[in-house]
Amino acid sequence: MYGPREESMQGDSTERKDEILTEKIRAVLGQLDIELYQIVESVSESVECFFIRKKLDLKRRTALTDYGVTVFRPFEKEGKRMLGASAVNLHPGMDEEEMRAVLQDAYEAAALVCNPYYELNGGRRQEPIPSESDFAGRSLEESVRLMVEALYASDTQEEVFLNSAEVFGKHMWRRIVNSCGVDVSYETYSVSGEYVVQCISPQDVETYHSFSYRDADAEGLRRDVEEALAMTRARAEAVRAPKAGEYAILLSGKHMETLLSYYLSRSGTSMVYQKYSNYQIGAPVQGEDIQGDALTIELKAKEPYSIEGIPMKDRVLMEEGVLKTLHGGNRFAYYMGIEPTGNYKCISSPTGSRTLAELKARPYLHIVSFSDFQMDDFSGHFGGEIRLAFLYDGERVTPVTGGSVNGSILDAQGHMVFSKERYRDENYDGPYAVRIEGVKVAGEQGCFGE
Amino acid sequence: MKKVQESLFIQSRKALLKRLLAQLLESYAYVSVLATDSRSKTYSVSKRNMGAGESSIGTARGFVVKVSDGKHYGEYSFNQLAEGDLDRICGQVRELMESSDRLLPEGLAENEFRVPPEEEKEFQGSTDYEIDPEEMGADAILEHLSRIKEKGLAVSDAILDCHVNCAYQKYTKLFLSREKDMEQNVMWMTGAISFAASRGEEIKDYYMSYSNLGGAEVLSRMEADVETGAGITLELLKSQPMVPGEYDCVCSPEVTGMIVHEAFGHGVEMDMFVKKRAQAEKFVGEYVASELVTMHDGAGAASETATYFFDDEGTMAHDTVVIEKGILKRGISDLQSALTLGTEPTGNGRRESFRRKAYTRMTNTFFEGGKDTKEEMIASIDYGFLLENPDSGMEDPKNWGIQCMVNIAREIKDGKLTGRIFSPIVLTGYVPDLLKSISMMSAEVRLDGGGMCGKGYKEWVKVSDGGPYIKARIRLG
Repeated sequence: MYGPREESMQGDSTERKDEILTEKIRAVLGQLDIELYQIVESVSESVECFFIRKKLDLKRRTALTDYGVTVFRPFEKEGKRMLGASAVNLHPGMDEEEMRAVLQDAYEAAALVCNPYYELNGGRRQEPIPSESDFAGRSLEESVRLMVEALYASDTQEEVFLNSAEVFGKHMWRRIVNSCGVDVSYETYSVSGEYVVQCISPQDVETYHSFSYRDADAEGLRRDVEEALAMTRARAEAVRAPKAGEYAILLSGKHMETLLSYYLSRSGTSMVYQKYSNYQIGAPVQGEDIQGDALTIELKAKEPYSIEGIPMKDRVLMEEGVLKTLHGGNRFAYYMGIEPTGNYKCISSPTGSRTLAELKARPYLHIVSFSDFQMDDFSGHFGGEIRLAFLYDGERVTPVTGGSVNGSILDAQGHMVFSKERYRDENYDGPYAVRIEGVKVAGEQGCFGE
Repeated sequence: MKKVQESLFIQSRKALLKRLLAQLLESYAYVSVLATDSRSKTYSVSKRNMGAGESSIGTARGFVVKVSDGKHYGEYSFNQLAEGDLDRICGQVRELMESSDRLLPEGLAENEFRVPPEEEKEFQGSTDYEIDPEEMGADAILEHLSRIKEKGLAVSDAILDCHVNCAYQKYTKLFLSREKDMEQNVMWMTGAISFAASRGEEIKDYYMSYSNLGGAEVLSRMEADVETGAGITLELLKSQPMVPGEYDCVCSPEVTGMIVHEAFGHGVEMDMFVKKRAQAEKFVGEYVASELVTMHDGAGAASETATYFFDDEGTMAHDTVVIEKGILKRGISDLQSALTLGTEPTGNGRRESFRRKAYTRMTNTFFEGGKDTKEEMIASIDYGFLLENPDSGMEDPKNWGIQCMVNIAREIKDGKLTGRIFSPIVLTGYVPDLLKSISMMSAEVRLDGGGMCGKGYKEWVKVSDGGPYIKARIRLG
């Protein structure tokens, strides 16, 4: 079948012989006459390091095997065909009696879940897909060490340094089977984590950063840490909040993914089917009158299969502001009569029409760090508390801190202008920055509207 | 009232776990084993969707071993344990403890800790409940939720959806070490009703949350509020964008709870003291809030969803008075932070699950009540807002900032509610300024345990927070 059953995942002499339950689960399902089901089996291991300054505070390892089983039950209610479903978690070491009780209980619950009928996605057994990551040729310890080295490479200064860091190296095999023939599996590697940068002069401040890599991009991490050190220095210089008012704001880096996730979320079949979103293919979802840059966004497949075993591929989500794809899992796609695509997290977009210098040619407030930048997919509001921003008043650039932004993408989307420069992250590859005019900022003083 | 029963799985593995402990104690100065068996189910109904099944976050069965060789700590999390596995597990732990040289590049070293002192402790405890949701059954639960949903949808055609859900978690945790043999069985249950209504492209939503340390008895509280919730959602369709500024505000207990949690709860987590990441460390013994404010945190401080008998490191639950009449008295801590700081652990060492590290985490966090009424607070304001329905928050213990997203601000003018609503609101500020500005507090205190708390963006644990209505001066945007 696939890797972890036959040999130790870390290639060392201490073999891990996990009890693989998938076939036992299928047998129990058969005994219970449960004909429709899905089983997701995940076998994973991790190596984890927790640092305070340059000292390892705690080291951890995990070795885990998990089974998510969904049972489906067709029935009729008031003359209409239904398909109920209920998901459970089974554990290694569960005996047959307990497994039977849990699955039976789930099957009875499924009979009460009155969702309109749909078909499960079909398929056939496919060859396991090993990871192409360059972490695959290393042990997890080696991979973690490589990225820890990159993390601390630029931590050489007295006044600004890494306060703390957490690094997680993970390796996983996942297998998805269902009663309609789907039998697929794939492997992933990642090294992810977070770190806090502290600058102690002229004031003691910190900034928070996270990272996630599927390939050993040590140089990329080293570069990001350098930028984080510079950003934190700037934060230490910032003492005041901007004055309350309306600003042209620049958002950049990680915040771009959050901002544009609005379109990803609103084009999901679960949102559309439940009428939380009115998106339709062919509709100008960015608005009728686009004065700024019209968005083109592509959905990028990060894994070869969705959690339902649907083969994932890259797809065009929107083109020049017009929606091209609705995406989502099997059930809502069936209801809507469209192809199930699987659920996407990763987007890419061509860069914009102006250089960053051009975006910055007129006064702006460039927020580089929020406490927690949020986009509300329901209301379209975005915002958060400003931890560091650069205010350009037409003459000079001043670092500021404090206050908050509260804007609406529904108001902004017709005049967003994107940068020609690019930014790449785990789930985003697109313009580095966007300029949005007329966004409300709460700041130092002033109560409008009294 | 009935007692939550012990997990049969934990019972069946206890002897084997004790053998594992004994085998590891042959090699290590300190060993602890935490075994968890938890089951969590969720039920939900809405206009076009129903669900009933186990939560993958709250359902977990596994083990975490923590060892010290006298200087360094390591942890190994696993979920397969059978006869014949002990040597393999001990081998993994040995490899882990010998891995530092392989993990650490040049220039990095490993912290040294002393072994935690332990007192002998044998403990067994179970929380109470009235109605077992498993005995009540999926049929009755879904029927109850559906009835509430229909009632909500019937209020107006303008209600796009009424989503009603509930969840419970029942768990057994066994903590073993050289001196300790502790077991607890706990159950909590929560419910929520959320409404959506559309205003063109924009969806306005409103939610109501219910919780108890116990079982399905919480469901009976949900039905009474449905029409009120639907009415507020319809009001939100007329809401205006917030006008940024600093205002006198009355905060509902739910908003107070979020402020307590984000501003002060996170700010006094002592693992942040260890890292010199919390400004609060410098203010112990000083005024950080109005003299009206007394703040608690503890799994033993209230009966809510974050109540337990002992934490994930075997420390008994406390009721920690964090602020007393405005003065910061102490923080909350896990075992390792307490060892570093030379303080006593407070029973706040919590893991998201056996798969994750233990951090200092909040439990039930709240302000005590005062003597004023909500009506008196509103009447005292020339121009300001009544804040309701918090959404989310983020901590900033370093700079003692606060960010809270709040759904509703009701305008107050000349001591009366005007009927105008503003939404959404970003609440920010410098924590001591906000807390020192508290000038009135109601006698009524409410806690809500419907939410989860992250350490940043991960490590999710169940918490409750709350307090009275408070009047304070706050920056809104």
